[in-house]
Amino acid sequence: MFDTSRVQKEVVEFNRDTAISGVSIALYDGAGGADLTHLCGTISGPVGTPYEGGIFVIDIQLPSGYPFEPPKMQFVTRVWHPNISSQNGAICLDILKDQWSPALTLKTALLSLQALLSTPAPDDPQDAVVAQQYLRDYRKFLGTARHWTETFAKSASVGFDEKVKKLVEMGFPEDIVRSVLEGVKGDENMALEKLCSG
Amino acid sequence: MADDEDFPSSSDVEEPEDADCYLSDQYDDNAENVLQYLEDGRQEDCNWSVSSVITRESLLAAQKEDLRKIMELLALSEQHARTLLIHYRWDVERIFELLDQKGKDKLFSEAGVTNLENKINHSLSSFNPFTCSICFEDVSCSVITEMECGHCYCNECWTEHFIVKINDGQSRRIRCMAPKCNAICDEAIVRSLVSARDPDIAERFERVLLESYIEDNDKVKWCPSVPHCGNAIRVMGDIYCEVECTCGMQFCFRCLSEAHSPCSCLMWELWVKKCQDESETVNWITVNTKPCPKCHKPVEKNGGCNLVACICGQAFCWLCGGATGRDHTWSTITGHSCGRFKEDRVKRIESARRELDRYMHYHNRYKAHTDSLKQESNLKETILGKIAISENKDSRIKDYSWVMNGLNRLFRSRRVLSYSYPFAFYMFGDELFKDEMTPQETDLKQNLFEDQQQQLESNVEKLSMLLESDFQEFSDEEVMENMKHVINLSSVIDRLCKQMYLCIENELLYPLQRATHNIAPYKSKGPERASEHSSRFTKATNEDIDVQHGSAVNASGSPSPAKRLSQFQPSSSSDGKHGCSSTKRAKNEGSLDTPLFDLNMPAEVVDKSWT
Ligand SMILES: [Zn+2]
Ligand SMILES: [Zn+2]
Ligand SMILES: [Zn+2]
Ligand SMILES: [Zn+2]
Ligand SMILES: [Zn+2]
Ligand SMILES: [Zn+2]
Ligand SMILES: [Zn+2]
Repeated sequence: MFDTSRVQKEVVEFNRDTAISGVSIALYDGAGGADLTHLCGTISGPVGTPYEGGIFVIDIQLPSGYPFEPPKMQFVTRVWHPNISSQNGAICLDILKDQWSPALTLKTALLSLQALLSTPAPDDPQDAVVAQQYLRDYRKFLGTARHWTETFAKSASVGFDEKVKKLVEMGFPEDIVRSVLEGVKGDENMALEKLCSG
Repeated sequence: MADDEDFPSSSDVEEPEDADCYLSDQYDDNAENVLQYLEDGRQEDCNWSVSSVITRESLLAAQKEDLRKIMELLALSEQHARTLLIHYRWDVERIFELLDQKGKDKLFSEAGVTNLENKINHSLSSFNPFTCSICFEDVSCSVITEMECGHCYCNECWTEHFIVKINDGQSRRIRCMAPKCNAICDEAIVRSLVSARDPDIAERFERVLLESYIEDNDKVKWCPSVPHCGNAIRVMGDIYCEVECTCGMQFCFRCLSEAHSPCSCLMWELWVKKCQDESETVNWITVNTKPCPKCHKPVEKNGGCNLVACICGQAFCWLCGGATGRDHTWSTITGHSCGRFKEDRVKRIESARRELDRYMHYHNRYKAHTDSLKQESNLKETILGKIAISENKDSRIKDYSWVMNGLNRLFRSRRVLSYSYPFAFYMFGDELFKDEMTPQETDLKQNLFEDQQQQLESNVEKLSMLLESDFQEFSDEEVMENMKHVINLSSVIDRLCKQMYLCIENELLYPLQRATHNIAPYKSKGPERASEHSSRFTKATNEDIDVQHGSAVNASGSPSPAKRLSQFQPSSSSDGKHGCSSTKRAKNEGSLDTPLFDLNMPAEVVDKSWT
């Protein structure tokens, strides 16, 4: 039932103009070879927003009904935004829910996420705390969002394998490092904490 | 009571004032006899109710009826009419209203119906070869389908889309695959493409479309019987009503629980929860036990003095809960000075005790009437036996239908009485309407209500006693006397019930500012029996029975038949009032402004004044 050929075509088509669009997509080449149902997208933070200069990693899961069911997307990089959970990166965006159309692609979805970064919709929030701050104290919101971009979206541009390497050099076994790092969605500090606590 | 005469036609209601009350009783009794005939199944096609049963077999016909109305009015195909009706929850009246307000184009586009008048036609072959923008494949124009909205994709993709939606339970409204296109897919295309791939799924699609008439329709609900009888009930007009399915299940149409008037749905829900709830037990524990200072288990006070002992061996002071030794007298405990007496705890216990007492008061009475109802249900067999004996006696009296009519009246009024207690519990308690009434108002209204409740109660008990008498051993004169009492009491009780409902609707619930509580109106005959679905009510005379029955009890100010009729008609002549849960109903017009006799008089006095 899963339409591999469409996804393959999408991926090929996708990365033709990455430099201009500021979004890209990659396969996770895990142990079992390329798995087309689990992809990794990136979005560069739009210019003129507190996200500028950041690279945001999106975890993409394709359900078996894709493209007739919407892809599941979630921010791996922590981000301060009214429509994205500051806790777990869950996204509130209509086209990822009931407004999804099979004629949309992963690229249009990622471009929509990029557009969401530049135009938040605080009236339909995913993260109530962020949305409140956005509405009541916009300057403070900008400050926090910028700070988060600096802290999380710039170090996150370091590749997964590099992080693994770093932690392995610290003396942890590679297989454990990989699974822990995956479990915390690539957050080095949290991974280290977990590894140290046993 | 002679019941060989036909039902009087509506003109007969106009009678001289003084004869009215007696006649009204007679009509009432006639109507009861009709009910009896119905119960016996002697008269089948009497369609006097505003609710109807929809069986699996008649579902299609019921649906077609509404479809046809829309198809005719708007010159639509059946599937467009269906799309429109599903979107507007099968509310034909509402579609008519919106047609006026919004116009055809807006009405259609919001529902996802393509207005074919605006459609541009072009030939699909101009697309050859066609690249499907979903699977990115090049395909021949023979395997692509264009929806009415003009969007075109390959058949494989359409089929996949349909199947995903059907499996997801979203197949009543399958939207076009194009982004932001609101059009609903042509059901004929869905049918043909899906059945080519998987006939089982196509069948499910069909069934879901059919059941939409029940699932998406505020005026139709599945009968809540378990195991399910397979029927659904449709009501016309007010959804605050109590109905009886042909399977015998009686229920509140609004909330689908047992018929609970004069409680509102919310009151009943709260009451059921309260009765099941542990919270009352918790209250009991707060009032009657204290935690042991050592093991913290609740300990009951076990004697008159204030020293209590826990099973763990610890003794403590009941007043303050502090651990003590065992050496004590009636008034003091050695070495213990009760200094930590906590005012607020005592207050809390007092209020918990008051709350508990209040609940127990209402619950005991509610329970007493429910129990009586159960016992009296067993009476039916006994009474049928007595009637059989009486009918075979050498006597002038051959008609004993008054006994069964009296018994039915007893059942119905018992029901009303028992549900009137949870109603009062919430109406005059703090939980729901604390801010709606001042304490003085509450007192006043409670007195008014309880006065009616008590009158009803005493008359119901009298009727119960009368019906238990061994009338099969009576002389003819005694039977006549008994019969007269039963008939009169039944009539008085019916009136009192009606009066109580009106008081609740008009004096108690209607003035509420914030909360909206609607109750099912009083039905002299009990929950309305839903008739088998037939395309339209057929005999005007059937309504006359209801009109007369309803008005006979009121007697004065006969309601205009036209007004009555309008509530049977689901047609365009709507006054815009829907049985929507958030709206407050208009005041009940069936007022009792000119009572026929003083209801404050005991029934015997009323009896005497009649003869
Ligand atoms: Zn296709
Ligand atoms: Zn379309
Ligand atoms: Zn039923
Ligand atoms: Zn209810
Ligand atoms: Zn103890
Ligand atoms: Zn003692
Ligand atoms: Zn004490």
